[in-house]
Amino acid sequence: MSRLLVASALLVLSIPAFAGSFAGSSAGASSAGSSASSGSSSGDDKVVLQARDDAASFVASEGRIRGARLEAALRHLRERDADAREASDMALAQAILAL
Amino acid sequence: MNPGRPNPRRAGAGFRAAAALALLAGASGAAWASPRLQWDDQGLTEAEASATRELVRTAEARLTPAMRKHLARGIPLRWSTTLDDRVHGRARRDGVLLLNRRLLAGLLTSGDTRTHAGTAAEAALLHELAHLLDRDAPGGSMSRDPRLRDLAGWQVRATPGLTALMGRTRGNHFRERSPDRYELRNPREYVAVNLEHFLLDADYACRRPALHRYFAQRWGVPPIAPARCPADLAYVDAGAAMATGGRLGTLDPERIYQIDYLLAEGNDAMMSRWGHSMLRLVICAPGRPRGPDCRLDLEHHRVLSFRAFVGDVQISGWRGLTGRYPSRLFVLPLDQVIDEYTKVELRGLRSLPLRLERDEVAALVERAAQLHWSYDGRYFFLGNNCAVETYKLLRDGVPRLASAKLGGITPNGLARRLERAGIADGGVLADPARALREGYRFDSMRERFQTLFEVARARAGLPQRRVEDWLDAPPQQRRSWLARTDLKSAAALLVLEEAARRQQQLRVRDTFKRRYLQAGGQGGELGEAAGTLRTLLRETAWMSRPADLLAGTGYGLPQADERALLESGSALRRGQLRDLEQRLDHQIRALLDPAQARDLDAVDANIEWLGAHLRDLHRQAGGLQLNP
Repeated sequence: MSRLLVASALLVLSIPAFAGSFAGSSAGASSAGSSASSGSSSGDDKVVLQARDDAASFVASEGRIRGARLEAALRHLRERDADAREASDMALAQAILAL
Repeated sequence: MNPGRPNPRRAGAGFRAAAALALLAGASGAAWASPRLQWDDQGLTEAEASATRELVRTAEARLTPAMRKHLARGIPLRWSTTLDDRVHGRARRDGVLLLNRRLLAGLLTSGDTRTHAGTAAEAALLHELAHLLDRDAPGGSMSRDPRLRDLAGWQVRATPGLTALMGRTRGNHFRERSPDRYELRNPREYVAVNLEHFLLDADYACRRPALHRYFAQRWGVPPIAPARCPADLAYVDAGAAMATGGRLGTLDPERIYQIDYLLAEGNDAMMSRWGHSMLRLVICAPGRPRGPDCRLDLEHHRVLSFRAFVGDVQISGWRGLTGRYPSRLFVLPLDQVIDEYTKVELRGLRSLPLRLERDEVAALVERAAQLHWSYDGRYFFLGNNCAVETYKLLRDGVPRLASAKLGGITPNGLARRLERAGIADGGVLADPARALREGYRFDSMRERFQTLFEVARARAGLPQRRVEDWLDAPPQQRRSWLARTDLKSAAALLVLEEAARRQQQLRVRDTFKRRYLQAGGQGGELGEAAGTLRTLLRETAWMSRPADLLAGTGYGLPQADERALLESGSALRRGQLRDLEQRLDHQIRALLDPAQARDLDAVDANIEWLGAHLRDLHRQAGGLQLNP
């Protein structure tokens, strides 16, 4: 499914660009926005995908901008993954960005 | 007074019948303190006299002991032939109860009242007895009690001073999912109608829990066997993302760690200069024990927000000023609210935890659910805006807060007063970095733009000096600079490119919206897209009025049957919405002028290119690979 221009019906009517959509799954055309909109992403993915803006800001600012969504994603990854527990915040933020 | 209702909607009749039978067996023992309803058998046939006796006996058995004691006196009762057909009964000032004689005929044809729990005659008799209870209730008349009026929906005004000056609002806007619209006539009838249901309906405690507690505290629990209430509260999610939008959600007070006052900071637009007041429910992820860790379960948090519509297409500033648009309570995913404000409107959010006891959290959420299903208010820019609505929700949900001086008309003012009263914890913002990290503040993306742009400018040698100039440059021109980026500058430009796309989308939408409104909602140059949008608006109306989804079934908070109904229709509704969205999207795309379409595609391409570039850089650097 191609990304909707008006990411949701309600978008036309209002505001919400829920597409925090970074291009870039392996399929190329899909995005955080469209996978969320198809309802196919699990809750797990969502925490990480929602953090991509925060992760990008964190990486670019060398850690100065550190938002709650990144914090939530870091905790989530470390709860789930042993490798993530060993990794630094910056390494994880970069990994989120490269998803 | 008690008018006839052509179609009395009462749930739980089966329960009631069983309970009434159970109760009659043991009722005679309470005769020592009972109302003595006195009527004259003269003019009644044998059957009518017997039906009257049975009616009185059954109705009395429904009263609580405290009610029976309070009414333990002679009460004259008459079958009246002079009452209007539509009127079932009247409690006269002199204490005489009149019941419409037509009800007697109904009693005879329907046979034994015991097998017809809650016949019209019984409801009418209880209704009139309720008026007597209300008139000289111990502790004062219920219908004059400010707390009862809070619960019922004759609400206070924006400030205590205004309420003192002008009295409470005259109308009652809790008009959706009413058991009987007659209750909205005035507080006296509200009390009588509700006591009727309190005594007759097994699930009154589930449908109107706060009122049930209020009456039970005054009069004790009615003899009817209570239904078991679900522990959670149902709502219709107004989220824009199809993952949640239109879905039937539930709020379980046990899973709510805290409630925050959520303030969207103001911007220059007239309607939002003062910011926006909301409440944030800090809901714990499934399986996580209730505690501070829940603060980061952002995807489970929900926001209670008073809005006019789910979208804003119908809104103009003037309408808000003159009070011609509605005020309704929406339940939205926090993630969406963060995006709306920080990314689209470029406004920051502040989230101040409220110091509430556990039972207060539960009562506040319960009140919110009642508003969600029943409230159809009117928005007034000064008199009844989001701050006033949120203030009323807080004080009506948590009576303790009614004594704090919270009233006011601005969202900022409400935040200040909540802090001053020691209810909101403003200390969470003391350390800005920590506030951002822990989600007490969500910064506007605008605050990040310049910082990120500086990073990219220094590292990739961008020609522009200001981020606005970068974003205004044609996307094809920006593309030529992307190749020069390293990890940090690519990350920075990705955030900015996303922002550029949102700006573009907003422009497209605004143009479309303007053309749609100019065409008066007719097709014209917009062709089929106008029709699709019209359908979409109609089809999403239920998001603002969830009660419409249950037209005619039940009252108050939806129970098991109604929930099943909502559940079964949900997939269909959401599927239809998705189809309409996609159709509209295609139609709008076709309306774009070629340059606009080219720019949109170019930004998409830039974002994709940056995504691939970041993955390459990450791989080359041997970075950690996540497998989501």
